[in-house]
Amino acid sequence: MKDPIFFLLVGLGSGSLFAMLGSSMVVAHKGSGVINLAHPAMAQFVVYDFIAMRTKGYLKLPWFDFLPTNKTGLNFPVTIKLSDTKVAFIPALLISLVMAALLGLMVHFLVFRPLRSAPPLGKVIGSIGVLTFLGGVMQLNFSKLNNPNPRPIVPEGIVHNFLGLGKDYTRSNLWLLLIAVLVGLGLWALYRFTRFGIATRAAAGNEKGAVLLGFSPEFLAATNWVIASVVAGFAAIIVGPFGGPVSPVQLTGQLGFFLAAMLIGRLNSIVGATVGGIGLGMIKALSSSWLIAQTWFPQWLRNGVQEALPLVAIAVVLFVTGRKLPIRGTVEEKRLPLAPYPRRIWQHTVIWSLVVIVLAYHGRHIFGGNLPFALSTALITAILMLSYVVVTGYVGQISLAQLTLAGASAFFMARMMANGSITDVNPFKVSGPGLPWVPAMVFGVLMAIAVGLILAIPALRIRGVQLAVVTIAAAVTIEKLYFENDKLTGLRAGAPGFITSPTLFGLKLGSSGSGGLTNNPSFILFCLFWLVACCWLVANLRRSGTGRRFLSVRANERAAAAAGVNVPRTKLLAFGISAGLAGVAGSLIGFQQQNVSSANFIFGLGFPVIAFAYLAGITSINGALVGSLLAPVSIAAAFGSYNFPGARITDYLPVFGGMGLVLTAISNPGGIAPFTQPLMRHAGAWLVKARGAEWTSFVRRYGPWIVGGFIGGYLVWPLRVSTYSKFWMPLVGVILTLLLIRPIILQIYWKATGKPIPPPAGSPPAGVAAHGGAQ
Amino acid sequence: MNLPDASLLETRGLTVTYGGLNANDSIDIAVAHGKLTGLIGPNGAGKTTFIDAITGFTAPSSGTILFDGVEINTLPPDVRAHRGLSRTFQSLELFEDLTVRDNLLVAAEHPRWYSFLVDIVRPNRKDAGLEEQVAWALDVIGLRAIADKLPSDLSHGQRKLVGVSRALAARPKLLLLDEPAAGLDTAESQVLGSHLRDFLSRDISVFLIDHDMGLVLNVCDYIYVLDFGRIIAEGTPAEVRANPKVISAYLGDSAGEEQAREGSAIGQLDHGSKETA
Repeated sequence: MKDPIFFLLVGLGSGSLFAMLGSSMVVAHKGSGVINLAHPAMAQFVVYDFIAMRTKGYLKLPWFDFLPTNKTGLNFPVTIKLSDTKVAFIPALLISLVMAALLGLMVHFLVFRPLRSAPPLGKVIGSIGVLTFLGGVMQLNFSKLNNPNPRPIVPEGIVHNFLGLGKDYTRSNLWLLLIAVLVGLGLWALYRFTRFGIATRAAAGNEKGAVLLGFSPEFLAATNWVIASVVAGFAAIIVGPFGGPVSPVQLTGQLGFFLAAMLIGRLNSIVGATVGGIGLGMIKALSSSWLIAQTWFPQWLRNGVQEALPLVAIAVVLFVTGRKLPIRGTVEEKRLPLAPYPRRIWQHTVIWSLVVIVLAYHGRHIFGGNLPFALSTALITAILMLSYVVVTGYVGQISLAQLTLAGASAFFMARMMANGSITDVNPFKVSGPGLPWVPAMVFGVLMAIAVGLILAIPALRIRGVQLAVVTIAAAVTIEKLYFENDKLTGLRAGAPGFITSPTLFGLKLGSSGSGGLTNNPSFILFCLFWLVACCWLVANLRRSGTGRRFLSVRANERAAAAAGVNVPRTKLLAFGISAGLAGVAGSLIGFQQQNVSSANFIFGLGFPVIAFAYLAGITSINGALVGSLLAPVSIAAAFGSYNFPGARITDYLPVFGGMGLVLTAISNPGGIAPFTQPLMRHAGAWLVKARGAEWTSFVRRYGPWIVGGFIGGYLVWPLRVSTYSKFWMPLVGVILTLLLIRPIILQIYWKATGKPIPPPAGSPPAGVAAHGGAQ
Repeated sequence: MNLPDASLLETRGLTVTYGGLNANDSIDIAVAHGKLTGLIGPNGAGKTTFIDAITGFTAPSSGTILFDGVEINTLPPDVRAHRGLSRTFQSLELFEDLTVRDNLLVAAEHPRWYSFLVDIVRPNRKDAGLEEQVAWALDVIGLRAIADKLPSDLSHGQRKLVGVSRALAARPKLLLLDEPAAGLDTAESQVLGSHLRDFLSRDISVFLIDHDMGLVLNVCDYIYVLDFGRIIAEGTPAEVRANPKVISAYLGDSAGEEQAREGSAIGQLDHGSKETA
């Protein structure tokens, strides 16, 4: 009995980190109603600055040099040099905390304040944008620090035979616990007893409440962001050194635990988050050392159980306390945009397939040698985004785990293909049924559906952003318990699982090529086939009774139930179908990579996928198609790196991508679908009949902006890079103008003149919804 | 149990408790086949709680709900709907992404577990029975002209009528109307009121819940009066109108009688509801 107690106490250290990060995220939620997925990244940035000051004597500001290679000498200030050697501890700590406060203010004023009336999913996308941006900034700004391993700040002495438990114990754990408890108590008292805290709680219910207490809601939100950010930064500086070498994703990797602590506090209780976080740390330590050493503990669970156990517990707690149907009076917050009725499916299929086929064989001239890989990635990403269209766009359930479901399919397919022989990709014997690709892929997809249905169980009782958080927890769990567990995958850890290439009647459909890069046009056609099939499936669902029931559940669960719709079954169905779609995407990722590795399916990689799907229009098939072009390592990126070789596109992709996400989420709360949908519609109508009037109105609406963007791009872009193409730069200017600058300027214009905002171009005039106006 | 003359809907000692407070306290009512039954009571009397309990949105803490002679206490709302128990909502609870016709179709369809597989292959298959059912539900309230519009393009009154029409599309045995006249303009509530009795001839019994004395007293066959979660009176409109308990507790002295008399013309139905809503 002594050992379990000892290991529980060992967990106090990591538990205090969970507690402090968790309660700081609770503070941010109290102040602004945002579940900030970027919170660990913000704390990480503060840690980096602290280390940079302590070791090199400088600090970096939370942005980057916009003009890194221009010749005019007009550079953007990023570095502040404080000392030639290093900064002393106390000033470094204080300056770091000031930096944390600045970050908090920036996040509030630049991101979440403009997003305050966006749908809940829009706020999640905003935080994903911040996460992506800060990750990129850390890569750019701190690359010279080289994985520093900082020295601990709290005393580290060893206690022999701690409490008579017979083992040596590090004293730092107790110090960290003390700090976490003090921070928790301080925050609790702040919100319990001060006028500021009471006003914050009042504002959470009703902004007028805060005004009555004499505080502006504005001031409250900003102050809460500062507190949240400073506490997180402080916690990360104090506890960080015990987590090993610092990396931009070190804290974000533990996001699941922070969210779990937050959920134990029901998103609003600091005491709950503190106690919960410490408890999580203790359970984690117990299961990672003592539990898995027990003889009765199943062998196959030993990998990853320490990550999975607490999170499973949270899901159970939430499920038990959740409700089958929302109670009366719970008003739906801002809604997702309308889900248009798909029309002219045949025309769209023919035209876009032709475009893809031409690109597959001749696209290198515009997109460079990386095109086959980028194009197949775009097609696969489109399928993955379709899975979001079904589950989030149609049924309104926010799942952040679709990439993980894809992974489940890929891993299971690889296992089904293994046949016990040694290949050049996998030097270990893996026993398996050795199935050909068709049944193996079917089994993979079925596996994804099975996992997706399990994931749907929490969705039966949990809603909105809480559900999103649980799906992140589930994704982490599956990742650790399955993908990284060689007992279950049957694939030796560290060695790639091999996947045989698909063939059909002697035709090689695989992505044959060196280094996993694809250069076989047939593989692109293979992906295209699956994308077309999946688009048809989703379109047919939307056009039928199943789609009507999906949308009825999204609109109003209570009314749907009253109309005879079985809400739980409908949700399960949606999760199952979308998991199937994700499974197809996962199998294709396997075929594309020709092996499986957990690195392809890390939950964080799924964030940009849902983010771009949301912005391109998560409620429509068009949205999935357009979104897939913008996603990382897809067409847009390939285009950029081929045509602007001097621009270091891959280095700057995260920062620009993150800024783009935030800006687009702010300027187009419903995504850019209102802009892209008419474009797609015209493309479809081209062959059938030219619609003169529609074209004229399109040109009148967008023409001046296109010309302006072209000229602007020509004039501005020489500043950005030294090697630029006179033709492509203006084109980028046009795209940026249409997607970002136009909506922002128009919004300012409308606000300034007080003119009524005209309906977006994609929305039908009243009364013609059923006659081809919707899409 | 399933006697020929048994009531369509019957509650015995139905009690719903919210946090130690009895929102509904031991309610016994019976809704007869082919009749228009009413439930009236002031705001906060527990009317919507009662309808929630009957339709499965709130679990009763004790008591029995019998529908068509079968106890339905533990059935989920969608199963009750398929058994023939349709309801409308006091607030506007339409499916905003679907056209009016599609709103009705959702209620009219009886999907099987494999329906989605058929949908994937044949999304636009025609079902004459279903279309006739929806067409009837549209026509009976006069919504044919707006069938292809989205709810966001409709007026408040039209949306309210779509809610009734959607409940009708399911071809229910019993239609539960939760304050249908609230927010309707004169012409609209006239349409609604004049159609309520039409439903009866279509073999659809109606249970009308409202705080608008006029509407209920004028169209109902039998009336229950609810106050503070208890049934304080019941009877025919004439009996209820004369009941001193009702007058003092709900209508307040003579004012109620006047209101009831005023409400004799259906055209003035919305008058009272607008003031109290």
